[in-house]
Amino acid sequence: MKTALVTGGSAGLGRAMVGRLLADGWRVVSVDRAEGAAMPFLERVTCDLADRSAVDALAARLAATGPFQLAVFNAGVSATGRFEAIPIEAYRRLMTANAETPMLLSAGLVRAGQMAGPMCFVSSLSHFTGYPGAAVYAASKDALAVYARSVRKPFARRGVSVTLACPGPLRTEHAARHAPPGADADRRMPPEVAARLILDATFAGRRLVVPGRTNRLAALAGRLLPGTMMRQMRRLILDRLEGEVW
Amino acid sequence: MGDMRQTPRQKRILITGATSGIGLALAFRHAPDAAVLAAGRRPAEEARDVLPHGVAYVQADQHEPEQAAAAVLTALDALGWDSLDLAILNAGTGHAVDPAAETPQMLRGVLDVNLFGAIVLSQTLRPRLEAGQGRLVLIGSTARKGAAGFASYAAAKAGLHGFGRALAEEWRGRIAVQVIHPGPTDTGMHARAGHDPGRVVRLFARTGTMARLIERAIARGRTVETLSFARFLGRGGSGR
Repeated sequence: MKTALVTGGSAGLGRAMVGRLLADGWRVVSVDRAEGAAMPFLERVTCDLADRSAVDALAARLAATGPFQLAVFNAGVSATGRFEAIPIEAYRRLMTANAETPMLLSAGLVRAGQMAGPMCFVSSLSHFTGYPGAAVYAASKDALAVYARSVRKPFARRGVSVTLACPGPLRTEHAARHAPPGADADRRMPPEVAARLILDATFAGRRLVVPGRTNRLAALAGRLLPGTMMRQMRRLILDRLEGEVW
Repeated sequence: MGDMRQTPRQKRILITGATSGIGLALAFRHAPDAAVLAAGRRPAEEARDVLPHGVAYVQADQHEPEQAAAAVLTALDALGWDSLDLAILNAGTGHAVDPAAETPQMLRGVLDVNLFGAIVLSQTLRPRLEAGQGRLVLIGSTARKGAAGFASYAAAKAGLHGFGRALAEEWRGRIAVQVIHPGPTDTGMHARAGHDPGRVVRLFARTGTMARLIERAIARGRTVETLSFARFLGRGGSGR
């Protein structure tokens, strides 16, 4: 039986990916801060991925748990609002959970020879559009995206393909918490749809997946006209935020 | 109302990573006509041997971003600088290493020095930059688009890019924010990183040249600026 590792598997996109993998006959190890319902063939590991010492312990444990035929580094948190109004401790946790932890877990698994299949890093559409009103979140997701691009060749030499996923807004509790008031949740992609598209791209070994046509257009616009897109994002998000959420 | 004639106040400039490479070259360029506070990892006695005369120094190792920012703040208070005209966050470090061989300690150090250190300092300096209608300059790297031999460094610089351009939009009209990406420069960082660039190093910009290009980019004021190979081959040689 094939085993997959999914971080942040208790909610949102991660939960949708775990559900999909279980339905397809995988055994799944899900690592999350939050607990979740027990399911057959699902092993839940509780770990605060924003805590360096907890991550060190997890890395040692995973190196002895593999090999994994798939690893999806999906766990992430956000912090929205004016940059200066959010405490540094929140940014420290965000940067650790979103960027540092997936980098060092993936490097550790490859180094230990515990990867026997593809790997996926879940970044964000903000990598292409920019994200005023979430400057440190944007930084963490850009860092993760470029890490994924950078390790693609070196990891491929060890038989591990690397896919970068940049999903746009999803219909999750996480997105609802951080969206401006009045934002239309119906326009966000259901996490089950994003999960399927991202997993398919990962199994196909694709370099990049931006699920959804509208999101791909936004990514293209952000590449062609970064300054214009940034100002648009400011009007859409920063100017409408009513306070800080982290 | 007394004597209204006042000598214009000297510009107050903070430069991090100022004891070597581009940061040191920037300190030399600004020292003659600005008040400069240099920050670096080295002990003060060592730093004084390399820094230009008259430059203030604070030891602030960006491997510990929160403590480094506190040290910088203490130094600003000691100088009586309640406002700041320009902060150049230039501290950087990297390792030439197969990414699979990069240890957690190396990864954390690279992210802290290049990225989180700048984030913490940006927040710490914000009131003083705002008071001085100042400018925040983040020094990135052309590696920000990805580099197989410097994966975490490229990632950290990409993070700095995303942070800088979002912050520029947030602080528009209050504090100017720029992120400037130098191309390969003969800073000694490659050697310290365990990478021998070989004869290509002859094509690297010299630190003084790069410092001049950075100064010019600051004067132009664009939010994102890349100081690439072509640019310094074309303009960096001499004169202007």
